[in-house]
Amino acid sequence: MGEDWKTEVSKCSKCGKCHTVCPVFLETGDEAMVSRGRISLAEALRDQQIVYTNKLRDYVYSCKKCMRCRKDCPSGVDYEIIISALLRGVAENMGIPLLPKIIFRYILPRRILFDTMLKVSSKIQRFIPMKKRGQMRHLPLLFMGKRWIPTLAKKTALQKFRNTKKLKNPRMRVGLFTGCLINYIYVDIAEAVVDVLNKMNIEVVVPQGQLCCGTPSSSMGDVKSSRKLAEVNRKVFESQGLDAIVSACATCTKTIKMDYLRTLGPSWKPISDKIYDISEFIYKYCGEEYETKPIEEKVTYHDPCHLLWVRGISDEPRNVLKKSSNFVEMDMAGSCCGGGGIFTIIHYDLTLKMLERKVASIERSGADTVATNCPGCVMQIADGFAGKNSKIKTTHSIQILQRALANGNINREK
Amino acid sequence: MKLFKKTKKEETKGTKALNELIRVLGKEKVLSAIEDRICYSYDSTKQKALPDIVIRPDDTSDISNTLKIANKYEIPVYARGAGTGLSGGAVPLMGGIVFDLKSMNKIIEICPEDFVATVEPGVVTKDLQDEVAKHGLLYPPDPSSAAFSTIGGNVAECAGGITGLKYGVTRDYVLALEIVLPDGSVINTGRKTLRSVTGYDLTRLFIGSEGTLGIFTKITVKLIPDPERIDTLAAFFSDRDDAIDAADLIIDNNILPRTLEFMDQMSINAVRGYGEVTIDEDVKALLLIDIDGTEESIRHELSVVENACKEKKALRTKVAETSKERDALWAVRRIISPALYNVATHKINEDICVPRSKIKEMLQKVDQINEHHTVYIANFGHIGDGNIHVNIMYKDDPGQEELAESIVNKIMEEVIASGGTISGEHGIGNKKSQFLELEISPQVFAIMKRFKNFFDPKGIMNPGKMFVT
Repeated sequence: MGEDWKTEVSKCSKCGKCHTVCPVFLETGDEAMVSRGRISLAEALRDQQIVYTNKLRDYVYSCKKCMRCRKDCPSGVDYEIIISALLRGVAENMGIPLLPKIIFRYILPRRILFDTMLKVSSKIQRFIPMKKRGQMRHLPLLFMGKRWIPTLAKKTALQKFRNTKKLKNPRMRVGLFTGCLINYIYVDIAEAVVDVLNKMNIEVVVPQGQLCCGTPSSSMGDVKSSRKLAEVNRKVFESQGLDAIVSACATCTKTIKMDYLRTLGPSWKPISDKIYDISEFIYKYCGEEYETKPIEEKVTYHDPCHLLWVRGISDEPRNVLKKSSNFVEMDMAGSCCGGGGIFTIIHYDLTLKMLERKVASIERSGADTVATNCPGCVMQIADGFAGKNSKIKTTHSIQILQRALANGNINREK
Repeated sequence: MKLFKKTKKEETKGTKALNELIRVLGKEKVLSAIEDRICYSYDSTKQKALPDIVIRPDDTSDISNTLKIANKYEIPVYARGAGTGLSGGAVPLMGGIVFDLKSMNKIIEICPEDFVATVEPGVVTKDLQDEVAKHGLLYPPDPSSAAFSTIGGNVAECAGGITGLKYGVTRDYVLALEIVLPDGSVINTGRKTLRSVTGYDLTRLFIGSEGTLGIFTKITVKLIPDPERIDTLAAFFSDRDDAIDAADLIIDNNILPRTLEFMDQMSINAVRGYGEVTIDEDVKALLLIDIDGTEESIRHELSVVENACKEKKALRTKVAETSKERDALWAVRRIISPALYNVATHKINEDICVPRSKIKEMLQKVDQINEHHTVYIANFGHIGDGNIHVNIMYKDDPGQEELAESIVNKIMEEVIASGGTISGEHGIGNKKSQFLELEISPQVFAIMKRFKNFFDPKGIMNPGKMFVT
């Protein structure tokens, strides 16, 4: 990767508009935790005024990478180039902690090993006390006593959908990119995707051999590992002759559709053009044609950052939800839920503040259920409600559509 | 006076002050790591100067205690709101201590029955506007940066903004101040009443004093009833002079729009493609006009405004139908200043203000000064007030900077000749201090310096700003 960040930082006019959109700055008011500050730190690095330190690393890791600032930047700064370079710099100069490194380099690229390890974990998790509504305490954070994460599925999505239904005269044949969270935890989201698309006469395959999209490693600056994963995924999907590729994860969609153009080069463009978020796909190819019997629950929608701020997708999932439920809008639907990545570990207090804000918005909306288009957000928001013993359910919007198509007969609870 | 770099003596002085600050305020509020200092070294002028210490005060006493220490060791002190100023006010030119006043961001009280509100300096202007709107009230001053700049910064620079023509500027809304003076003592000026003529108006002296006299810790502002509704009209012209004539005609018809904003061709080019507004290629100037009031009064005023624009050969006019359309139009206007960096990488941002009748002539003079188009000049701003942002954009090539500066010099001379002022709303800072004496007589200049020396005899408050020497 190039040195383009060195010129990109000069574009920043220091106007401060990023103050208004940065979800982290909203909580901290700390100039070092907003794009303008981090860009200044990058400038200082470029000019050899500073070196990588723990403090600098924490400021770099304080970025949620929601990319909302880039969308609104009047000077047209491509902040993603800069934050990626900073993350890479942290990795190169300070090293990647051993455990993530082992996971990125040796486990993520090996599906069977990954499966086995998680399978062992899923056996162990049976002995962990204090489960709530399918959520259990987050192991490393057990002693902090606050986090609730979902239990691992017995059978991964890839295993479950090794052989999907062949349709007689399908309108299209699409591949599902599951992503890790859906593969290992939220298999029911994958099931909803397959189910809904099949009902719309679209054949779905879940190409075996697909791996993690590479976000966890690239967000810690491990570009090498991410490239390796991208190359395997290219091979797996290129050979399938698919009409389209869908994903139910906002972050995976962003990574394989947009970041891979950089990682794999322009030859990825023809495939990239065919990659869609699941709601985006349904809106584009199924439009208003399908019949639903909307469920009675009040459902609101949380915009995942990587769908709204990176791809500008907001009407499509709402359209699907309006057709399949009693939809209500929440205030600040586009504000980050605080979930995702190393941020939640290094800046745990901020994660909770952002989550609180999100939970309050959802409660104010009066909704029974909050739907979103990212399993990471589902996990984070469900954590917020599990901790509070709230009755509000968290789900993926495709699962709402699935229920509306099935007249509400499918039970979403595991 | 770089504290940690120069002489041994200064080094010990800095270390002593730092230790004392940590002892008095506590570690959390005193930042001295290089990473933090870098993040408080700049403002929107893109100038940089590294402070030695950043203080995050919680309240008046933190500021008072800091100033006592700074005064004792004669360490420079700078107040910083959001660092969005356009004249260099918050840049710590001589090193020393920067106050990050964003940490003092409480709205202390809103008194709807008295039409006043009291806030801490770090409150973002738009947050105050939104809060008082809940009580059906309006805080009118509305700089383009309102969504991210702070009230403290607005008062320190006497920010203007887009509603100036009808409602005035920041100074017209500040009733009372709590101020910490350089020796750490705390004074209160003004009253929380809509009128007060008791003694000299020290409040006004401090408004626009750019952190050179003291630091505001509480600000009481006047509020007015929030108009029922606002309608927005954009008028597109093929000729700059037509747009100026139309603005004149609107006011000649005895209508004071809430806003009357002007953009010339270069400004339009800079923002074309931003957001959701498309501006056709034949448009060479535009007016953006807000009318507020009741539905009835707006209908009347809007028709007068539309007719005036048509009479002055507007290509077309467009009234925003929805609040979304309105926001989209305004987003374009608010974004010009930073978007100009898409034209060229360097900018000198002037905010001249001339008598309204001289605007056309002034812009023609600017054209003449830049007749060979050696730099790019974008003109936009508050035409109703005669306050035009003249932005001189230039590239990184050798000689360009000197050229741009000589153009600025000529423009400033013309401004003064036409009875105008060198800064309508951005303040002097260090960017315009060289022109101060162009406008102000030696006698008045000396009086100002005496005020400065009276309040800040050791010269620790924002050194290098307002006055060159």
